[in-house]
Amino acid sequence: MQEERISSNESEGAFNDFIEDKIYDAVDDILSDGNFENLGGRGSEIIVEMDDIVVPTFSYGDTGGGGGGGEGGQGPGKGGGKIRFTLPFERFMELIAQKLKLPYLTKEGTGRIKEISYEFKTFAPVGTILDKKRTFKRALRTSVGTKIYQPQKGIYEVQFRRRDRRFKVPERVEKPKYNAVVFYMGDISYSTYGKRLEMEKRLVSFIQSWLDYNYGPMNVEHRFFVHDAKAYEVQEDDFYRVSNIGGTQASIVFDLIYQIAFDEYDTSTTNYYGFYFGDGELFDDDTREIVKILSNSIRPLFNRVGVVEVLPSKWSQLNNELEKEFPLDNIIRLSEIKSNSQTIDVIRKLFGGAL
Amino acid sequence: MRAIRFDPELYKLEQRVMYHAKEMGRTLPEMRFFILNQMEFASLLEKHVFPTSPPNIWEGKRMVHKKYRIETGQESALYYEVVQTGNPSYAYLNNTNSPMMQASVMAHVVGHCEFSELNVLKDSNPDRTEFVLYLVRKVNRARQQMGEKNYLQYWNASESAIPLIAPHSQFNVDKAIETESRPHHSMSSEVEGENKKSLLLPQFHTMDSILKPENKEQAWEKELRKKNHQEALSRRGYRLRAPCQDILGFLRHFAPTSSSERAIMDYMYFANSNSDFVIRTQIMNEGWAMYWEKKIMMELFKERAVKGIIDYARVFSGVCSPRPYFNRNPYHLGFHMWTHIEELYRDGKVSISYLEEKDRQKRDTWKKEATRDPLLSMEHLLKTVTDYEFLRRFLTPDLIFKLHLNRILKRQAKQLQIQPDAIVKEDEHWIWLNPEAVKQEMLGFFTHFFRPRIYLIDADFQDGGLLLYHRYDQRELRKDWILPTLKNLNFIWKGPVSLISGNSMYTYSSSHFQDVSILEVPFERILERMQKLEKPYRP
Repeated sequence: MQEERISSNESEGAFNDFIEDKIYDAVDDILSDGNFENLGGRGSEIIVEMDDIVVPTFSYGDTGGGGGGGEGGQGPGKGGGKIRFTLPFERFMELIAQKLKLPYLTKEGTGRIKEISYEFKTFAPVGTILDKKRTFKRALRTSVGTKIYQPQKGIYEVQFRRRDRRFKVPERVEKPKYNAVVFYMGDISYSTYGKRLEMEKRLVSFIQSWLDYNYGPMNVEHRFFVHDAKAYEVQEDDFYRVSNIGGTQASIVFDLIYQIAFDEYDTSTTNYYGFYFGDGELFDDDTREIVKILSNSIRPLFNRVGVVEVLPSKWSQLNNELEKEFPLDNIIRLSEIKSNSQTIDVIRKLFGGAL
Repeated sequence: MRAIRFDPELYKLEQRVMYHAKEMGRTLPEMRFFILNQMEFASLLEKHVFPTSPPNIWEGKRMVHKKYRIETGQESALYYEVVQTGNPSYAYLNNTNSPMMQASVMAHVVGHCEFSELNVLKDSNPDRTEFVLYLVRKVNRARQQMGEKNYLQYWNASESAIPLIAPHSQFNVDKAIETESRPHHSMSSEVEGENKKSLLLPQFHTMDSILKPENKEQAWEKELRKKNHQEALSRRGYRLRAPCQDILGFLRHFAPTSSSERAIMDYMYFANSNSDFVIRTQIMNEGWAMYWEKKIMMELFKERAVKGIIDYARVFSGVCSPRPYFNRNPYHLGFHMWTHIEELYRDGKVSISYLEEKDRQKRDTWKKEATRDPLLSMEHLLKTVTDYEFLRRFLTPDLIFKLHLNRILKRQAKQLQIQPDAIVKEDEHWIWLNPEAVKQEMLGFFTHFFRPRIYLIDADFQDGGLLLYHRYDQRELRKDWILPTLKNLNFIWKGPVSLISGNSMYTYSSSHFQDVSILEVPFERILERMQKLEKPYRP
């Protein structure tokens, strides 16, 4: 028998590949379902549940009811039971990006703000945290050199000298920090409940995750605004809760977010994103005003603006007008959603590659 | 993994251990020692104590889980000893053990290797590990030929049949399957007698016809039956003459397989069949290993080859600590039984005169010179019996008390809902159960090993299907695993597979699962029918 290492690396690799395939399937399921709401908190790990790969055998036990029910057999993952494992948020979003072929968002603001951290990358003869492995290696080398360690004579002594000691030294690491702010705008003059609310929630949930993934959860600020005849900021929960029946004016919310973007953030270091959700039923002069704000103020400043008409009617005209003004625009992205199954199409339109 | 010769200190210890083993007259195969780190140890155990295995996701899953447990401190990964017996035997030492522990492990392994060489089940075989390495290479080639998906499917199906390996059962392949090259030697004397009789007497012999009148019709039937039997044997290549408990063994030989599929089944069978030997001889085996470990260690301490006798005593008493019968400690039970047996032989207590002696005082002070070396008698025992007989003959009620097999903590007894009439003695903390009942319970283990007893009773059931029989012992099979297991067996057999359990018959055929109620058939009836060459079960 050859002298070699006993390991299960190949089997572990096979298992990891198997799990990777299962994760792809899970991502496919999520994408075909278009439901991003139950993925957990922002930046948290995703819990994936799959059939366990325990091999079924004839055994004693009272699991299962009568009738010999139960599915499976023949092939892994059909033995019964479930296994759960966690998938890091970043990996999950990476898979989503791969599946949807979404390009990474352009980041701006490098050089101005740095994220500073300390990592133990270097080693020095003085310090507080002793690196035992390095110290031992140096001591052994010295002992061999000074003939204190002579295995051929059965002498296995190792002498530790002061100068052999190696300490871990923290090194300052600077990484460019990107800031982003996302404005979510909602029209509360139309009935935001039931199907509409669900569709809006799904989209907002994905946008949050996608931007968190691109910039890091700590570097993104998500702000929510609603409007009817007036525009004001609300908490995230209220974004889906408040509603009003009556007149509506959307341009004021675009104006409001522009004011906030300009006044409250450093325009040279911040990446701006804005997403509008509404039924698109606006008055002509309101639409014209939106076009004006988008062209003159928002478009030059923002990285991306998405306008989504949720369950549009024959009177919806916002996107039609914007389409005329911004055809195939890479910053102003227009879309409409009529059913849950269109969630992925909308995401592709909002975040897909250059048009 | 490194060979022991690269560690001068351990190598020297090994030489001393082997020297003492030989001085003590042990029968040993070639023994090779290797030193492993903790992860290698964990991996080795997942590979059924062979240094390599074909890559498979099940092993991968267990290792990922184990690594996580080791890294998070939930599992220590410190194993006492691991040995793959055979000739040569491969023993693995943990690199974290002290020299004294390594010496004790080597001495322990001596006991295991000798047991494997001498035991009645003939466990030891030449080049076992090397043969498995060869099978692994075959499976790796099969994997490439089959493609990953088919390979995984077949592996999964074969793993379902692993608990159906029973090479040492009285209903193993050799005894249950008749082939043209291996004629059947019948299971019972009654049938043997019948076979010895000539089925068809020469009718032209007038005197014989007068003296032994033979019913012509019966003779004709017998001949017809024999003819059918021979034709069946010639057509299929085999015939089931008795229930076969070694179902994977049967499938390995007779299921329609490609060479790749056969390679997987061969590996599964060889890598797992040793567990049947272990389960049938664990008490004797571990006891024998502890017995010789102690003897050799005492010699090593005497010659100061190792230090730390106090530590050794502590470890030894920990390993040999008593447990109640239901979670028996084979090290404790085996070691003390062998020591007790040695004493019995030394004092001449294994004799009719001792057994027939009625005087209690005389029995207690019995000491007669043994006619032969007690060790020879112990070796004879080793060569002739397994755990069942070992316990049946030597585990007396007195010994059960002495070894605390029937002693249970009161708190535990309450949890186990032990009835007051089962208790023969009690004090403030403990209760003692009736030793006879304890012995019966312990012997009962060797009939079923706490596993369902499944037999193949018909390989031509309803158009070429397999018929399995669960020997019902008032416990139900796990219902939700019957279908997937049958499906897996169907995948191997490539034909219908049915299972009788109690008054239900489950059938999986052509993606269709059926569960029908039937009249319960006792095992004895099945056996009787098979011996008469009849169909064991007719729906």
